[in-house]
Amino acid sequence: MRRLLNWFGFRREKLESELDRELRYHIDRRIDDLVRTGLSEPEARRQAILELGGLAQVREEVRDAWLIRRLREFFHDLRFAARAFLRTPSFTATAVLSLALGIGATTAIYSLVDQVLLRQLPIRGPDRLVLIDWNGDQLADGWGSGNLMSYPICRDLQIEDRFFDGVFCRHPTTVNLSIGSETKPAAAEVVSGTYFSVLGVRPSFGRLFSNEDDRTPGAHPVVVLSHDFWHSQLGGTADVIGKKVIVNRHPMTVIGVAAAGFRGVDIGEVPSLWVPAAMKAAATPGWDRLLDRRARWMHVFGRLKPGVSLEQAKAGLQPWFKAMLQEDTRRAGFPRATAAQLQEFLGSTLELTPAPRGWSGLRQRLTQPLWVLFAATAVLLALACLNVAGLFLARGSARDREITTRMALGASRARIGRQLLAGSILIAFAGGVLGVVLAPLAAKALIAFLPRDAAAIDLQSRIDARLLLFAVAISVIAGLLSGVAPALHSGRNSLIASLRERGGTPFGGVRLRKVLVTAQIAFTLVLVVGAALFVQTLVGLMAKGPGFSTSSMVSFTLDPLRNGYSRPEASRLIRRVHADLASLPETRNFAVASTPLLSGGSWNGTMTIQTNERIVTDRIVHRNAVSPGFFATLGAQIVAGRDFNERDSRPPGQTGTRSAIINESFAKRYLGSRSPLGSRVGIGDAPDTRTDIEIVGVVADFSYRGLRDESEQAYFPIFEGRDAGGIFYLRIRGTPESAFQSIRTIVHNADPTLPLSGYRTLDEQLNRSLNTERMLATVSGGFGALALLLSLVGLYGVMSFVVTQRTREIGVRFALGATRSSALWLVLRDAIVMIAAGTAIALPCVWALGRLVESQLFGVQPTDAITIAAASLLLAAVALGAALIPAYRASIVNPTDALRFE
Amino acid sequence: MPTPRFPIPQGTLDMLILQVLSLEPAHGYGIAQRLEQVSRQVVQVNQGSLYPALHRLEQKGWLQAEWKQSETGREAKFYSLTRSGRKQLAVERASWDRLTGAVKLIFNEGSRS
Repeated sequence: MRRLLNWFGFRREKLESELDRELRYHIDRRIDDLVRTGLSEPEARRQAILELGGLAQVREEVRDAWLIRRLREFFHDLRFAARAFLRTPSFTATAVLSLALGIGATTAIYSLVDQVLLRQLPIRGPDRLVLIDWNGDQLADGWGSGNLMSYPICRDLQIEDRFFDGVFCRHPTTVNLSIGSETKPAAAEVVSGTYFSVLGVRPSFGRLFSNEDDRTPGAHPVVVLSHDFWHSQLGGTADVIGKKVIVNRHPMTVIGVAAAGFRGVDIGEVPSLWVPAAMKAAATPGWDRLLDRRARWMHVFGRLKPGVSLEQAKAGLQPWFKAMLQEDTRRAGFPRATAAQLQEFLGSTLELTPAPRGWSGLRQRLTQPLWVLFAATAVLLALACLNVAGLFLARGSARDREITTRMALGASRARIGRQLLAGSILIAFAGGVLGVVLAPLAAKALIAFLPRDAAAIDLQSRIDARLLLFAVAISVIAGLLSGVAPALHSGRNSLIASLRERGGTPFGGVRLRKVLVTAQIAFTLVLVVGAALFVQTLVGLMAKGPGFSTSSMVSFTLDPLRNGYSRPEASRLIRRVHADLASLPETRNFAVASTPLLSGGSWNGTMTIQTNERIVTDRIVHRNAVSPGFFATLGAQIVAGRDFNERDSRPPGQTGTRSAIINESFAKRYLGSRSPLGSRVGIGDAPDTRTDIEIVGVVADFSYRGLRDESEQAYFPIFEGRDAGGIFYLRIRGTPESAFQSIRTIVHNADPTLPLSGYRTLDEQLNRSLNTERMLATVSGGFGALALLLSLVGLYGVMSFVVTQRTREIGVRFALGATRSSALWLVLRDAIVMIAAGTAIALPCVWALGRLVESQLFGVQPTDAITIAAASLLLAAVALGAALIPAYRASIVNPTDALRFE
Repeated sequence: MPTPRFPIPQGTLDMLILQVLSLEPAHGYGIAQRLEQVSRQVVQVNQGSLYPALHRLEQKGWLQAEWKQSETGREAKFYSLTRSGRKQLAVERASWDRLTGAVKLIFNEGSRS
């Protein structure tokens, strides 16, 4: 690098040492003269330096003189380059567009990488924030996803203050929020009173929660609104403080609005309001285990004290944690557990991980896909740079005479190299500007792939300062990458040979261009294989389908508990809607489930099975509660036994499960060849779990959480007390829009204040569940096509050039009796060598990169031979096609014309 | 008390350096001394601005430099005029003559009335 810099004229060290010598000479001479007039030597030295006005000062001014020259030359070069570019608009447009595509795509993906993976929370000292997690078996029931613990543990950690400047916990949920007459679902966060103070978030106005707002369960009906919600839904009026809002039928008072720009700790679920944990019963109707140590539902975060390291805190907390575990086992209500379970419980440790970015399920899902896409764009950008480098070389060859002439007139190679580099940097900046214009559009398209429900996603497609900096940086890198090879190459030919050149033997530029094209082919193959894998994954998943027909099916959700219903009331409402739907002319058939399909989540846990022995499932079983006719509505076949029927129902308010239907995977894994009918199961894995649920049927496998799902499933009747809310699935006649009108009327008649949420077709739900796969397939497919186009242009360019260069030689060959096919072969041979070499370079890369994307694939191996062979063949065919045109031109060279050229 | 020396006018240093070097190549210290001698110690050359000026002129291509043995036997950086430097000197000299001529003209006119 240093040599390169020196070569481009930054011979800083030599200049500096010469300046030192020069100044030393001056001072020594002056001292001599002054000593001669009678001054002492130190005095003379002092005066000599004084006369110069200080050595540092002089040095600085001289350096300025050097720099100004460099800058002036650079601007001169830029002007020169700009004029040259304007004279060749098609060249300029191709080069700028290539780089704009590369830079725009990279910037767009980086904007997501930055926002989802890299950016820290906009809070005080995010570096000190840690996620506290339980490593081991908590012997507890869980609600939600990720690293969950109970609320009492959070309180305990708040008291244990040797290592933390505060601890807080949070639980994301959706509430029915009424302001005025309208009731709408809104994203909320149930948080401890310490939430805002530990994060260091200040109010916009009003006040935020303190510990006083989170003391006695049920006694603190207050909420804090997010700045965005207040601004967009309440018009940003200042009289909001003290206003009453209704959260799930519970009146609560707005006490403040959080700081603008603070959007919670999860970029995937931005809360509209915050509710104190003490009000959990109101915020999450249906289950209130606030003070239950065996209920995991909260993410717990702590702020490390200054000077306390993560390791110190972790080590320091373990004795305290062990004591707490022992104490837990002696508490009333501690579940019965097997010896092995108890041992695992007592062997648990407390885990601390840095959490400067908060916690986000979205981030966990997108980390890998985003890095894959980012890597792909980096390859694409490199490809674009290679393309532009090739274009520059081609132009350099065209300008070779001009350059050699200038060198003959005394221009240094460094000077000319710098000039060429200035040109490529100018092109890169033009490409960068265009890329920055394109990037927000691309980012917007990418964000549109992400799911969003009641909660907004905190992702922006606009360009901010950080992103601009990134775009400038990669533009400079792109400029250097695409300019260095041509610049270094310039004027390497001997002057005389070049001036004498008459289009005889091909000279150096061609070899370098062939290397570039070979690299392009290698990069392209990597992208095309990637695209093929992701497209196959998407196509494979879509062809596989969920195992049931999604056409003319709609679903919607009713959650009466959130509207203040008691369980028996809610149950009655669900049954009433159920009955009304049956009489609807649009309904073919329909059913209710307690947990939605294809949404990524499930109600799950281990189960105990009692046949002639008692076994506990070694994997999690995904469970759901459904109404009779659920499987018929989906079109899933009951392969043995029967569906649920009215005998499996209990009156509203009574609970107790008597029957279950399992899927074929469950039967195969745990019951083997035995008939499962009549076997008994229980929910849970404790030694005292009662196994009194009879298996009455076996249903064919279908997808529950998502299309990749191949899991063991168990179904229970929803009308055995699990019908306090549900997701309705209807197969309809006519359009989803007309059905919606009728359904809304039914729900409105049952309760006008009850929101009907999530109305959508199952096709749409299916599409949503494939968001990530679709994003990967679309983007990588686009990249693959672009890459093919770029390398096609590159190969065509270099082969055309070769043919032009060798026209005379080919003419001579014809004159000496060569055949047309041998001329064709002469050119194609070159192309084949490049294609073969590029493929040979790419294959090990494909193999190595394949491991990184393995987890994103479905139904295809990353090293799938057929896919790779097909991609290589496609690339080879396209590349040969591009080479065929110049080859054909070579084969129709007229020997007389070619020779007359001399 | 010696007559106070005044600093050389803005912008003329470059021209004076070119002029001094048009006679023979010299190093920085030599140029400084020469300027003082030639102007009979009327003009005070700020030595601090001499070297930046020399490097500026060298960068512009009007001067070229070479390390040679000086009169004391030590190696010093000797500056000399290039062809374009010589041309530049002619240009600056002509415009200086025009300027001083014009100034003189105005003064003469003033004293006549």
